[in-house]
Amino acid sequence: MLASVFTKTTRDRWKGMLIAVVTLALLLLMAMAVYRDIDLSIYLELPEVFLEIMGIPDGADAASLAIGVLYGFYGALTLAALAVSMGSASVAGEERDGTIGLLLGNPRSRTHVLVAKAGSMLLLVGLGALALWGAAPLVAGILDVSITGMQVGAYVLHMFVNAIFYGFLAMAIGAWTGRRGLASGFTAGLMALGFVAVGVFPVIEGWENVAKAFPWNYFDNGQPIVNGIQWGDLGILAGSAAVLAVVALVGVNRRDLRGQNVGVTLLDRLRENPLTQKAVDRLAGATRVSRIWIKTASEHQGLLIITAYLMFFVMGLLMGPLYGLMDQTLLSYTDQFPEELWAFVGAGGGSMSTAEGFYEAETYGLMVPISVIVVTAVIGSRALAGEEQNRTMGLLLANPIKRSRVVLEKFLAMVVYALAVGFATFAGVWLGSLAGGLGIDPLNIAAASVLGTLVGLVFGSLSLALSAATGRVRVAVFGTVGAALAFHLVNSFASLNDNLAAWAKVSPFAYYLNTHPLKTGMDWGNAAVLAGLSAVLVGSAVVLFQRRDLRQTG
Amino acid sequence: MNDQITIRTEKLTKHYGDVKALVDLDLDVREGEVFGYLGPNGAGKTTTIRTMMDEIRPTSGTSTILGMDSHEMSVEIRNHIGYVPGDLAMYPNLTGRDTVTYFSNLRGGVDWDYVQELADRLEADLDKKIGDLSSGNRQKVGLIQAFMNKPLVLIMDEPSSGLDPLMQREFQKLVREVAANGTTVFLSSHTLSEVQRVADRVGIIRRGKLIALEAVADLRSKGIRKVNIFYDGDMDADVLRPLPGVLDVRVDDHNVVLSFDGRMETLLKVVTERFHVLDISTEEANLEEIFLTYYREEEVGV
Repeated sequence: MLASVFTKTTRDRWKGMLIAVVTLALLLLMAMAVYRDIDLSIYLELPEVFLEIMGIPDGADAASLAIGVLYGFYGALTLAALAVSMGSASVAGEERDGTIGLLLGNPRSRTHVLVAKAGSMLLLVGLGALALWGAAPLVAGILDVSITGMQVGAYVLHMFVNAIFYGFLAMAIGAWTGRRGLASGFTAGLMALGFVAVGVFPVIEGWENVAKAFPWNYFDNGQPIVNGIQWGDLGILAGSAAVLAVVALVGVNRRDLRGQNVGVTLLDRLRENPLTQKAVDRLAGATRVSRIWIKTASEHQGLLIITAYLMFFVMGLLMGPLYGLMDQTLLSYTDQFPEELWAFVGAGGGSMSTAEGFYEAETYGLMVPISVIVVTAVIGSRALAGEEQNRTMGLLLANPIKRSRVVLEKFLAMVVYALAVGFATFAGVWLGSLAGGLGIDPLNIAAASVLGTLVGLVFGSLSLALSAATGRVRVAVFGTVGAALAFHLVNSFASLNDNLAAWAKVSPFAYYLNTHPLKTGMDWGNAAVLAGLSAVLVGSAVVLFQRRDLRQTG
Repeated sequence: MNDQITIRTEKLTKHYGDVKALVDLDLDVREGEVFGYLGPNGAGKTTTIRTMMDEIRPTSGTSTILGMDSHEMSVEIRNHIGYVPGDLAMYPNLTGRDTVTYFSNLRGGVDWDYVQELADRLEADLDKKIGDLSSGNRQKVGLIQAFMNKPLVLIMDEPSSGLDPLMQREFQKLVREVAANGTTVFLSSHTLSEVQRVADRVGIIRRGKLIALEAVADLRSKGIRKVNIFYDGDMDADVLRPLPGVLDVRVDDHNVVLSFDGRMETLLKVVTERFHVLDISTEEANLEEIFLTYYREEEVGV
């Protein structure tokens, strides 16, 4: 498997794809089992336009709903995320690891390396998509549910092309900048924004076309699961992916390779500017290294700024006035929605006919947990395992400090980040509510933001515990993301089925929006459960980190 | 140097699954002593150091520094230690000065005049980002952070790697100075000439086992000499191998090089009888030759 760049990349990555596909297939089994046992006739009475917006196919049945939710949301995001991970790592990852010089010391051109990496990405994402195609009839067969007439193959093809579009976007950014974090962060942000945009803009009269500016629109806008392959949409995505591949090739051949991974932060730039040097010097220098937690917090400023801005401005402030522009008649239909439909947005039941329900569905349902999990998991995974991988942990621990202090200070940095994103969300939603004249109680906004911060912090703490237990960044990242997806799904679906309802309680998400804090205010019991869970995980991280040998290399 | 033991390992053993990285290591290093720790790649040098630093935990046995257990009292020990890990890595986004500030904050302060003195002596640029420095200049920052607190014990794994010869000399001078002031120095190295210059004693480790532990002066006084014989015509150099005192024979195009600690008279007799000798020279073996001799002996099971 080490015969070429292509085979080595494939060898390094196949396990992640296999785990993702098997997990998705199991989750599909669960979702289909839940939908099989509930009455779906309510969907037939909803207006067609709404069904279309929500991505519910005509004549919805258990199989189509389960596949729609599982593949259309969890599956498409997972496949795209894996492609982004591979795309961003292709050259920028080798630069970060300091291996690019060695690799290119062999008689292989940059073009060769990039093409090999792209080929491996196409192969693995393709195999993942094929496996998901095969999983659908298998799961349906096990549960004796018919999927006749469903265009699973077409849907999976759309998922594949959608994923490789984002993969090549990340590859192009990485190829031009050599910065893996920027490549994956920007691409993931665009994905998340697109996901929200295609849900919101079509409901606003006159703004329907804005959604077309987002690539996610071309993934399942034409409902390929019912209507088959949408060649126009597919062509746009595939064509753009091809252009991005060429852009990546040009970029990687034009620029200087980065010898060391020296990130330039905003503070660094200000520190170099004569006008601001004096003022910033202390902040970027002495202050930054005054404590372990401050240094840790200073390392991901860019991610925090972008995430907080996204939550404040886009998901908070803008959403208020947007809600006023939406077709209220259409939104009022959501009153009739059965709970299971809300599983789409993870809001656990609600109504978009009120501003609170709208914010819960659009902002708090997915984006708040995702944002907090992203910033906390980045710190959690890199805090311990990252220092081991970069071989700085030995030096850090040569100082007279306990390992427990290192873990707790890293956790403190994580708490600060989570609070910053939570506060940005609170401020954005409050101002959005004021701007749109929605009159949402600011205390309730605070309650929902606190609970959202806490649920994110639980998964951040999990990443810290995994990082402490294994010393492996990848285990911490994928373990956390996988657990978050699985628990989100468990909460969304298990509560719909009486036999499985008790299982929903095992999910941290069950203690977040299920009581609708935007309407009903703070549930201190839920907050205590989430805070307690986080404390237990951090406690485990301390114990696990104290007990084991430090890894010598990543 | 006095007889107070600063570093002690007793039956120190570390296994990674079936791999025995360290086997029953017994070692004493005295206060103010410079101890050179030698061995080929993968012999167990770094494992020893990482166990002493509590980065990894022994499978069995103990390690104590300043009378304190390396694991139980690790934080207290680190108050008195300066450390340069092998394959040194630091934070690429911090400048050298930021790095020193960071570690001094974790230690409760540092004498900046001394830091500047060290930087001047090693010609280190503390204002550049670590990521922008060459490996040698990065190593200088690593050395500064190890020396800056005037520690009682310095533990260094390949500390002069990447330094140019002039800087290596300055580093060696620094080591001798701090040792003269009572600092105990534990130094793992491949650079035998460096160990020869700075160390009082050497320990040689191979496949996790200590195979030799001697004062540098004793090693050299063993009387091992390097003998160089140039000859004409054909002959079988193997006849030299069984001779008493012949430790290591290498033959290369009418030239025999051997290490020898026996009676020179016996050797010369055999050589002149069997060889058509063109030239012969002898010199005191340096540590490298002694070291290689030890390993060759081990390999052939002597």
